[in-house]
Amino acid sequence: MPEVKSYYVIDPEGKLTCRKCGVGLVKANAVFGYLDNAFPVELPVCPKCGFVYVPEELAVGKVLSVEKVLEDK
Amino acid sequence: MDFTERSTRVYKTKQLYSKEELAARESLCVHEQPAFCTAACPLRIDARQLAGLCAAGDFTAARAAMERAVPFAQILAAGCEAPCTDACRLAEAGAESVSIPALERAAMRHGQPRTGRGLLKFKKKKTAVVFGAELFTLVVAAELAGKSYPTTFCVAENSASELIARCAPFLDTESAAEQAEVLEKLDLKVEYGRELTAALVEAERAKYDLACVSLAVYSALGGGNTDPVTLYDEKLDVLARPNGDESVIGAFYNARRAGVSADRLAQGMPPDSARGDEGPVASRLYTDLSVVSPTVRVPERGVYTREEAQIEAGRCIQCECTECIKGCAWLQHYGKFPRIMTREIYNNVGIIMGDHMMNGAINSCALCGQCSVTCPNGYDMAEICLSARRNMVETGKMSLAVHEFALRDQLFSNGEAFLCRAGPGSEKCRYVFFPGCQAAAVSPDAVWQAYMDLRARLEGGVGILLGCCGVISDWAGREELFSDTQAQLSAALSALGHPKIITACPTCTRTLAQLGDCVGIWDVLLDIGLPDCAPEAVGPVVLHDACGARGDAHTQDAVRKLAGQLGCAIRETEYSGDRAPCCGYGGLAGYAGPEVAAGMTAAALENTSGLQLTYCMGCRDRYARAGAESRHILELVYGVPAGAPPGISEKRRNRLELRRRLLRDIWGEDEMNKPLNFKLDITGEARALMEERMILESDVIQVMSSYNDSGEAVLENDTGLLVARLRIGNVTFWVKFTENGGTYTVHRVYSHRMTIETR
Ligand code: SF4
Ligand code: SF4
Repeated sequence: MPEVKSYYVIDPEGKLTCRKCGVGLVKANAVFGYLDNAFPVELPVCPKCGFVYVPEELAVGKVLSVEKVLEDK
Repeated sequence: MDFTERSTRVYKTKQLYSKEELAARESLCVHEQPAFCTAACPLRIDARQLAGLCAAGDFTAARAAMERAVPFAQILAAGCEAPCTDACRLAEAGAESVSIPALERAAMRHGQPRTGRGLLKFKKKKTAVVFGAELFTLVVAAELAGKSYPTTFCVAENSASELIARCAPFLDTESAAEQAEVLEKLDLKVEYGRELTAALVEAERAKYDLACVSLAVYSALGGGNTDPVTLYDEKLDVLARPNGDESVIGAFYNARRAGVSADRLAQGMPPDSARGDEGPVASRLYTDLSVVSPTVRVPERGVYTREEAQIEAGRCIQCECTECIKGCAWLQHYGKFPRIMTREIYNNVGIIMGDHMMNGAINSCALCGQCSVTCPNGYDMAEICLSARRNMVETGKMSLAVHEFALRDQLFSNGEAFLCRAGPGSEKCRYVFFPGCQAAAVSPDAVWQAYMDLRARLEGGVGILLGCCGVISDWAGREELFSDTQAQLSAALSALGHPKIITACPTCTRTLAQLGDCVGIWDVLLDIGLPDCAPEAVGPVVLHDACGARGDAHTQDAVRKLAGQLGCAIRETEYSGDRAPCCGYGGLAGYAGPEVAAGMTAAALENTSGLQLTYCMGCRDRYARAGAESRHILELVYGVPAGAPPGISEKRRNRLELRRRLLRDIWGEDEMNKPLNFKLDITGEARALMEERMILESDVIQVMSSYNDSGEAVLENDTGLLVARLRIGNVTFWVKFTENGGTYTVHRVYSHRMTIETR
């Protein structure tokens, strides 16, 4: 896979556990999408079931502001 | 309605207006028209600015403005006949007009002269000559020198002071000496003591490209046919003024026109080309004279002292049209007048790719139409903002995010919470009560009581229609959903046998007018009398007219009569009746611009206290939310206590509960809710976040049900909180909770519209 720049990186640092699979979340590749725009990021993901965790600070911070910018495009 | 998100990769636009349609709107605004004094001045000296500067005591700036406008400003100040003064609007308001020339004289006396030589200017190639001394030629010579033509001024007089005395004999000695000094400092070659015979003038003239002559020299040359506009005599190839006008302002104005002609001639163009607007014009400016007090002029003994000048200048009301912006928090927020807003909105709509900076403005106008009444020319921003919204929807440029919550709320009102029934056991009814979505959401008890009362006292059957009139989709610019809603309501009404619609909201009345015969509940109550439970001595209230009742004098009046019968002592607001502002609910302003809408609410409540009486539940709710004691008139009539303003989830619950109560207690139908198989406990912190982030209780329930089924969540090891999520429509909702037996305690909630996937 070609090198894609990540817009945002969060490392779970062992602080998050998947409730269902009982394993720790790991930093993994994910992608945010909105209005036909895509933003590669690295977020805490469950290595077993693939649950991607979006922390509150990210959702109401960066994600919200990017949403707003795109909404006025 | 299609709730799929738009794509930013669809490049479609549609012109908002034709050039003519745009111009027709823009030209209504007179804000940028010149003040009446300025318009009357052939030189367009900004007398309003001058008075403003003098009033502020800044005589130096006032003097500088004069000196920028004309050469020999002191001569003009001393001698001008002042057409500005005749145009001053104060006279119409019973005050004496402002003495602008006296202020000019004061500015020239008390202001410091300009320092520095200004920019070094390159001389022009064409040369100019002026023959003979009079005020006109003196000013022309200075004008031409100022325009950088190497200029020679040939006069019979022998010195600068003699020349000034000849041209401006009305100057006092001190000013004459100063003007002589000004003359000497000009970049102008003056040849004194010349004998100006026709022969000499003709011989000298030939050495220059441009020439201007005094009236005396002109007649010596045998001239007499100078053009009244360009002042150019083609035969003699000289500029000269027409005979007859000996006024000082005339001399300056002629000199300015001669200067323009000189430029045209120097460029080899006909002197009458591209001259633009010259001379006095009629101003279309509007200014509010209602607050003017009948002041008189400060008498001028010699030249005004600084203090006298400040007092005289302070009488100037700085004519300006601000009628719209004075009353509208939206215009105040953006700090621009409608003409500019219109142009920016028009341009915004035309942008194919890139940032649409005006989307926020377009979507935060209350569409209330106040401006169309406060503006002397009826400037209607609501029409412009609504057209822009419809255009954006049509071209796929409208963000769904701003209005989705409100649109879904309308669908909820006309879906789950919808109810359409004639009386029990009947199919048709003579009346149908349409309380409106906000009344059911904010004060369901008042709706219940009112309906019980109408049923008991009106003959012929009173049905009930719970739903939204559709104005939400109209405001959002979603024409398709609006017409679908109208069709739904129309079908409901026809099923009931086209009853008379009793409304409790002026906006519903307006929106439903096309669907049937509407009457306000206030009219019905005036007709059948108040119910027994109605109070008789409410006392002082501040009455807020609803923006939905603009232009509806009948409703405004009926509400006042009804309030009178309740014993309300009505205090009117500054902007009442047709001039009423919007509370901030209108136009879905609060969704796109919460701060703008908050400004609207604050403005509507400014300088009020005590009970705020409304006849629109939107107003009632927003005023209560802003901390005011506010009541809808129906709440007063039926003695319904005002509780704390309901949150977004409660508003939905209220509508459902009202529907359930009606069905159960009137129709004997009990709809049971499917019970949840877990217990939910929402903390105060989470409730506050839900309000702020517009997350409904039903959203939280869905997330928790999904977790309950799947067990999918993340555990924060530090805090012990579980975090579950669910995508519902276009939004992903996240809930942070703790689990204890069968109870979920919700601590925090958040959401985002972006999708997220692994890659
Ligand atoms: S009220 Fe506003 S829109 Fe109307 S003329 Fe005055 S400044 Fe312009
Ligand atoms: S909020 Fe009302 S008064 Fe203000 S611009 Fe919009 S329609 Fe006009």
